Amino acid sequence: MSFRRFTNRTSKDQDLAEEIDSHLAHSQDAHAARGLSSEEARRQAYVRFGNPRSTREHVWRYRSLPWLEDLWRDLRFALRGLSKTPGFTIIAILVIAVGIGVNTAVFSVINAVLLKLLTYPDPQSLVQMRNTGPQGSFPGANIPKFNIWHQQTSVFQQVAAYDFGGAGLNITGGDHPEQVQGIHVSADYFSLFGAPIVAGRTFTSAEDSPHGGHVTVLSYGLWKSRYGADPKVVGTTIQLDGQPYLIVGVIDRRFVTDTPADLWVPFQFDMNSQDMAHYFTVSARLKPGVTLPQVNAQLRLAADEYRRIYGKDSLPANSGFGVASLQEATIGDTRFPLLVLLGAVGFVLLIACANVANLLLARASSRKREFATRAALGAGRSQIIRQLLTESLTLSLVGGALGLILGFAGVRFLLSINPGNIPRIGEDGSAVTLDINILLFTLGISLLTGIFFGLLPAISASQPNLAATLNENGSRSGIGFRSGKLRSALVIGEMALTLVLVIGAALLIRTFLKLQAVDTGFATHNVISMAMSMSGDRFQKTAPVALVVRDGTDRALAVPGVVDVGVSNCLPMAGGFGMSFDVVGRPKGNSPFAGGAGFYSISWRYFNALKIPLLRGRSFTEQDNGAAPNVVIINQAMARQYWPKGDPLKDRIQIGPGAGPAFAEGPRQVVGIVGDTHDGGPNRDPFPMMYIPLAQMPDLETALNSRVAPLWWIIRSQVDPRTLSSSITAALRDASGGLPVAHIRTMDEIEARNTARQRFNMLLLTIFGFAGLLMAAIGVYGVMSYSVQQRTQELGVRMALGAQASSLRNMVIRQGMALTLIGVLIGTGGAFWLTRFLASFLFGVKTLDPIAFIVTPLLLAAVALSSIWIPAKRATRVDPMTALRLE
Amino acid sequence: MSRDEIPPGTLYLLILKTLAVRKKLHGYEIAEFIEQQSEDVLQVEEGSLYPALQRMLMKGWVVAEWGVTAGNRRARYYTLTADGKKQLALELSKFQRIMGAVTKVVQPA
Amino acid sequence: MKRPPDAGDILQGTLDMLILRTLLMGPAHGHAITEVIEHTSENALEVEQGSLYPALHRLEDRGLVSSQWGVSENNRRAKFYTLTSKGRKELSAATGRWHRMTRAIGLILGESHE
Repeated sequence: MSFRRFTNRTSKDQDLAEEIDSHLAHSQDAHAARGLSSEEARRQAYVRFGNPRSTREHVWRYRSLPWLEDLWRDLRFALRGLSKTPGFTIIAILVIAVGIGVNTAVFSVINAVLLKLLTYPDPQSLVQMRNTGPQGSFPGANIPKFNIWHQQTSVFQQVAAYDFGGAGLNITGGDHPEQVQGIHVSADYFSLFGAPIVAGRTFTSAEDSPHGGHVTVLSYGLWKSRYGADPKVVGTTIQLDGQPYLIVGVIDRRFVTDTPADLWVPFQFDMNSQDMAHYFTVSARLKPGVTLPQVNAQLRLAADEYRRIYGKDSLPANSGFGVASLQEATIGDTRFPLLVLLGAVGFVLLIACANVANLLLARASSRKREFATRAALGAGRSQIIRQLLTESLTLSLVGGALGLILGFAGVRFLLSINPGNIPRIGEDGSAVTLDINILLFTLGISLLTGIFFGLLPAISASQPNLAATLNENGSRSGIGFRSGKLRSALVIGEMALTLVLVIGAALLIRTFLKLQAVDTGFATHNVISMAMSMSGDRFQKTAPVALVVRDGTDRALAVPGVVDVGVSNCLPMAGGFGMSFDVVGRPKGNSPFAGGAGFYSISWRYFNALKIPLLRGRSFTEQDNGAAPNVVIINQAMARQYWPKGDPLKDRIQIGPGAGPAFAEGPRQVVGIVGDTHDGGPNRDPFPMMYIPLAQMPDLETALNSRVAPLWWIIRSQVDPRTLSSSITAALRDASGGLPVAHIRTMDEIEARNTARQRFNMLLLTIFGFAGLLMAAIGVYGVMSYSVQQRTQELGVRMALGAQASSLRNMVIRQGMALTLIGVLIGTGGAFWLTRFLASFLFGVKTLDPIAFIVTPLLLAAVALSSIWIPAKRATRVDPMTALRLE
Repeated sequence: MSRDEIPPGTLYLLILKTLAVRKKLHGYEIAEFIEQQSEDVLQVEEGSLYPALQRMLMKGWVVAEWGVTAGNRRARYYTLTADGKKQLALELSKFQRIMGAVTKVVQPA
Repeated sequence: MKRPPDAGDILQGTLDMLILRTLLMGPAHGHAITEVIEHTSENALEVEQGSLYPALHRLEDRGLVSSQWGVSENNRRAKFYTLTSKGRKELSAATGRWHRMTRAIGLILGESHE
């Protein structure tokens, strides 16, 4: 209402000017009617009206925004008031900046991970296809499933398949081969995700069929770096793994995928395939208006059909198909930990608020006379509250602006240290960008905190005991009983909140130490790993791959400093493949298979390279090749779980029964048992694992492996292996006929990455805890030194009456520690209840860990004691005479 | 041209009248008297009472002195001056003239 | 309105009431409103132009009067103000308040006669 009055005041002013003219004319008429000359009538009319301009100004002023002008006046007052006490102002702004900064930091991560929608068009209708079962739902698909899902056209607009991670491809034909990230996709992939095309086109369905030829679509990045963004490149060929691939199109840079891709090649699935291996992901776009219940009903029918075609063993009766929002699927299990962090960081803000409110209360009590005088001069109570709130809001907004910078720089720094597999934050947190959400969030919490910490002191300062205050001479106008209580309550609150934070931090520190102490089961020190992409026609059979492995092992071992060289199809702790198995001659019982286990194909020196101990039987040798009998080595967890009584070394197992022709092979004799490795990370129990010799893989399986995953070289050396990496890569290139390696990382790094999330959480909560501790210390120091100052006179009298200095000191300490104790009690109670939310973060520590719950309160009490000590000492130095003269 | 313009308010009149009746009061008592006497219809805000008293002091209508209240508090007591009494008569007649005029407009005969 | 406006506002509010009362007799332009108020008060009230127009604009913003341009009795362009139904309600409320206020002031002023 008043805003409209403000906005249309120019047109209204014009209107008013006309109206005044009209009025003057009427007035002139009236005078003329009384017989005055027209000249005189005009003069009289003007005299009578007064200055029209001042009337217009009056209305103009009325049409201005009074609150805007009041705000400006209050702001000037606030700035003047704050500049009078620079010490207070700086401390308050810093405290707020820290409080808001940490909140902005955490929120900006949450914003990037949880709140930002996927960048694809209409992301709400995108779903990830899932397998459902008693253990929950998980992504992943094989060709028969993809085929069935693809046929559900009543609910899905498009269905597309793409690689889990992405396979390395080698660009050849230049001086040096270059490994690039290629992603296999089905033809609908680009239209499903609405990928914008800058040149050419995407794959046709003919190109995505088994004999579709070699075609590729380039990413904007590769197009720019390799071809200088030349549109004429479409229609030419690029050499990939020694084969010419026709470039059919280029995708725009706006298309960002979770797994960054340099180029795409079609899967070229044979839809008649019975291959049961799950090695890709499928997503779909729902038809407009289709609801989730409709999809699920349709997918139940699809699961029945799948069972009918591929046999009842292909999909257990208690399992089926489902969908999950792609956004949710991408976020995964990150939501809860991030929300817990947001809760913890909210505590920091509360502590900061309590602290600033405390400072403001102290400041307000010394300004009582100022307010009383202003009240006497006509300022209403609401005006005084408004002015004080303007001051607090000025503080909080300046603090908020500073906090925004601080928090933003802080989060970039933290994430660049090690993000720990948080999805969607980009490389080193690059996706965490400043946007309107973060600005609004920071503005919002700045305003809220300003009101929150400003309102209590403002109300308490504006208590209208005007006459009483004015009549006092001013020397004793100070903290009243009420505001003293209020300040104590704030300190207690700060203590309690801090204790909860510090207990949380202590639990996470203990967790991290426990994780560090876990023996991963394999050597990580001086071990380096590198990936070699085996894509291309050369590696469709096992023998040539085995040859590269043997030759590469020999050549790498020849590099001075290298101790051992192992090769495998996946890296420990980096996620791997799983396979079902049957024990030959053992009844299956109810389930289709005897069990499932992790599945590694390895070279004969793999266990030596990683120092995984052989517990029983024998290890592999170079002679365990395609010509020798099939063998397998299992780990202790598998032996314990599947042979609780019997001896596994006497049994043979059939790996991947019914998994399709690629995995068809004879049973394998168990020849050895090795130690367990914590493959799922140190906080997960080792799971069952089986190892087979690389040289004994069925050809079809090798071909599949070569397409979807690289070969990992694991090299242990006497010295820092990074110093050897160029000699090693050269040796491997020679052995493989020119294949490059990529993803060179030490196992220490990979292990660190596995505990990175815990370290990240621990680091954050420790920072929060320390920030809280510091602020609580400032808070209790402020209240106690103020109280000592207030009671100077009383203390002086006591001294004069012969009280011992030590008893005065103890009195102050007693009072300060009483506040602390109450805070600690409340905080311990709060922590008892709140640490349950940390349960999923913890490892090897209970939520009610006695060490955390005993040591932390003691720590807090010690900090409080040391900050009470200074005012307590000051109390003993009161000179009785000075104190008495003060009156 | 002795036609009256609408005066800024009646607070002066009420304060003057109050002091004329009760002789010597401090600010709070003045406000209290006006409120009670008007059967709580009129409420005097401190924010306007004290500025009005300040102006009345400057115009010489009232004088003030510090004294002690029954509750042993210091307070500033106001008394009417001769000028103040004259002003009261003036304000009173002005007020009655305006009220009469407004009544004529509001309830035309 | 539980709390009456302080004394300084009394006559400020009165002008609004006088304008609304005048418009009760029918639409009028600014000059005519002045004339009517001054005439019915037997020239005891002088409406200051400097407060009349701000008051009219305020009343219009509150929806108590509406305005439109028209032609006046002596054939001049003039802006006519009309009482709205909301304005009619406000007039009766304001009149009630005014009576209460004058009675209250009367109580204070009347004591000297006792």
